[in-house]
Amino acid sequence: MLSKSQARWFFVGGTAFFGAIFIFLTVDSLREIPARQNQDQMTAAVVRGKHIWDRNNCMGCHTILGEGAYYAPELTRVVERRGKEWIAVFLRDPAAMFPGQRRMVQYDFSPEEIQDLVAFLEWIGRIDTNGFPPQPDLAPATVVASRSTSASTAARPAYFDTICVACHSVGGAGGSVGPALDGVGNRLTAAELDRWLEDPPAVKPGTAMPNLHLPDATRSELVSWLASLK
Amino acid sequence: MKFRSQRVAYLFFATSMLLFTLQILFGFIMAFAHLGFDGLHDIIPFNAARSTHLNLLVVWLLSGFMGAAYYMIPDEANREIYSEKLAIVQWAALNIVGVIAIIGFQFGWWEGRKFLEIPRELDYLVVIDVLLFIFNIGMTIWNGKRFTTTSIVLFVGLTAAALLYLPGMITFDSQVLDSYFRWWVVHLWVEGVWELIMGGIMSYLLIKLTGVDREVIEKWLYVIVGFTFLSGILGTGHHYYYIGTPDYWLWIGGIFSAMEPLAFLGMALYAVGMARAGGMKHPNRIALFWTVGCGVMSFVGAGFLGFAHTLPQVNLWTHGTLVTAMHGHMAFWGAYAMVVMAMIAYAMPRMTGRKLYDHWIPEWAFWVSNVGMMGMTGAFAVAGVAQVYLERKSGMDFLEAQKAIEIHFFGLILAACLLSVGIGLYILNFIQYGLPSEEAVSPGAA
Ligand code: HEC
Ligand code: HEC
Ligand code: HEM
Ligand SMILES: [Fe+2]
Repeated sequence: MLSKSQARWFFVGGTAFFGAIFIFLTVDSLREIPARQNQDQMTAAVVRGKHIWDRNNCMGCHTILGEGAYYAPELTRVVERRGKEWIAVFLRDPAAMFPGQRRMVQYDFSPEEIQDLVAFLEWIGRIDTNGFPPQPDLAPATVVASRSTSASTAARPAYFDTICVACHSVGGAGGSVGPALDGVGNRLTAAELDRWLEDPPAVKPGTAMPNLHLPDATRSELVSWLASLK
Repeated sequence: MKFRSQRVAYLFFATSMLLFTLQILFGFIMAFAHLGFDGLHDIIPFNAARSTHLNLLVVWLLSGFMGAAYYMIPDEANREIYSEKLAIVQWAALNIVGVIAIIGFQFGWWEGRKFLEIPRELDYLVVIDVLLFIFNIGMTIWNGKRFTTTSIVLFVGLTAAALLYLPGMITFDSQVLDSYFRWWVVHLWVEGVWELIMGGIMSYLLIKLTGVDREVIEKWLYVIVGFTFLSGILGTGHHYYYIGTPDYWLWIGGIFSAMEPLAFLGMALYAVGMARAGGMKHPNRIALFWTVGCGVMSFVGAGFLGFAHTLPQVNLWTHGTLVTAMHGHMAFWGAYAMVVMAMIAYAMPRMTGRKLYDHWIPEWAFWVSNVGMMGMTGAFAVAGVAQVYLERKSGMDFLEAQKAIEIHFFGLILAACLLSVGIGLYILNFIQYGLPSEEAVSPGAA
């Protein structure tokens, strides 16, 4: 039968042995991590973004690399999911993008800070994470309605797909915060569309559509496309 | 109690009870926010409530461990505490640091790193405080010249816990490295050195409460903590699957962390076995309930529910979901909350000289709080599994999936109310005991 001193040796010996292996593996991991995390892409902006992330304790609501809190979306692949432009617009005023939803903190970030955060999130998204987060494997084969269902003459502006689709759908694909925009050209004239896009809250106080501060060129491109959706 | 200075334990226990109450309060704030009632959002946003909830937990458990050590070590070493004054100073300092940290969180003075939110400046104070504590305990053992296994295991556990706090104090520019070393603290604490602390306290209580021979108990203690480190050190790998670390961690972490439940199973069998062997003759039945309960519930929470998501194939889907919260709650409760509560239940009658254990209040406190925690774990489990299937497996949008599982937070709140009633009764009992008394000091006492 095992004696007490044998038991003690089992404890001391086991701990020393596996502790040594752990240290060895840590040294090896530290050697491999630079390649896996794309060290060469860790710009000053990425590092600043990481510290803004820490300072504001974003991890207290979100998970990143699957670590943190479960109150807000996983952000490891957020750049892939939403695009950089969308995130930059979102961070200016989170509540405007998700009216009436669970609230994020309304931060007062400067445009530079927002760029740093976006750079950080973009860098995070490229880390080799052994496949996390996984692609949904039970997804019902979503019928993505063909984008040409709305007869349209003008080309679909890229800006629409980076920002507007988060809230609007066209041809069945897109968000549902705002109304579907199929046939919007029948409902609104180009002039009305232009006034609306310039400043929605001025047209309709209290509306859930935010003022996106669109540059004039982007606005007119959007207007001519929207007006053609009949 | 045998020695007058053991009474300082009371201060630490009282702090524990107070902070535990606050921890539960902040938990309710978060549960309501998940349910859609976030009325406090502008004053206490979710991330502030959460950091407060986690750090209150850590501080009240540490305070409980310190109290347990101050009670247990003099008894084991057979002498007064090296310096009672130092113990009081160290207690006050712990409280001050804790209060500053908790208030600071409300103003955004923190580091956004789960469990290690305490800002760097305060980290140094924490380290100094813990060093004072370890010095005081160490000198007591040294001067006592009676080196029992339980006190050595406890001491090694406390010292290692202090050392392992240090990797958490390094600043990294890389999220991957930050995370890598954050687990040196968090994982190697709860699945490593804190288990030594738990094992030491539990063995002491079993020796006192069951009357089983010390040699037998201490031998098994070594075997169990041996298993803890054998599996738990490389088991850290279960946090290195998906954070940008090499892929050999998938199988190393998987294999070794899958063996971790053995240590907890050992702990459970050990507690139940010793209690049966001793015939449960000790009049303080409640203290034995908490001790054996600790063994059993730590197996359920850490061993069984930990195993449920520790294999990489499973963790790929559950990583970063409410499944983690399910496990975290029951594991902390079963292993560490209950061992502190067992020690308090054992020490209070001895420190105060009042025998208030044979009563419905402490008895209901035990059952109601445990049933409440099981209910909470169930609510998190249902919410977590549903989240995995809706969001991760089927690709539903995060906020939409959260809406779908919202109702389980109502269940969570109901169960949490039950837990709160149980804890309320426990604290009522604690208050009824009153303060430690001079009459309770009797050198002949065990
Ligand atoms: C944060 C979500 C959000 C974003 C982003 C957004 N919208 Fe909207 N939008 C809305 C909501 C909500 C309404 C309904 C406004 C109301 O009636 O109060 C709306 C209304 C509209 C309307 C009027 C539709 C009608 O049938 O009356 C148009 C046109 C429109 N949005 C175009 C756009 C374009 C173009 C963009 C991208 C530049 C965009 N929106 C971005 C939320 C959004
Ligand atoms: C109080 C909790 C909270 C904090 C703190 C918080 N967020 Fe959020 N965040 C949310 C919620 C909730 C959402 C979901 C969208 C919404 O309802 O606004 C969100 C959405 C996001 C999104 C869009 C994700 C998506 O997939 O649509 C990004 C990007 C984001 N947050 C970044 C951040 C950053 C960066 C920080 C720290 C500076 C931060 N968040 C801090 C709660 C929070
Ligand atoms: C008493 C002991 C334990 C306690 C207190 C505990 C507590 C916790 C907590 C709080 C977390 C979340 C940590 C964070 O995200 O920062 C966690 C994560 C985890 N625990 Fe434990 N645990 C214990 C034992 C175990 C055991 C024995 C196993 C394995 C068998 C295990 C498996 C895991 C896994 C796999 C995760 C990661 C979840 C994820 O992020 O995907 N735990 N634990
Ligand atoms: Fe772990």
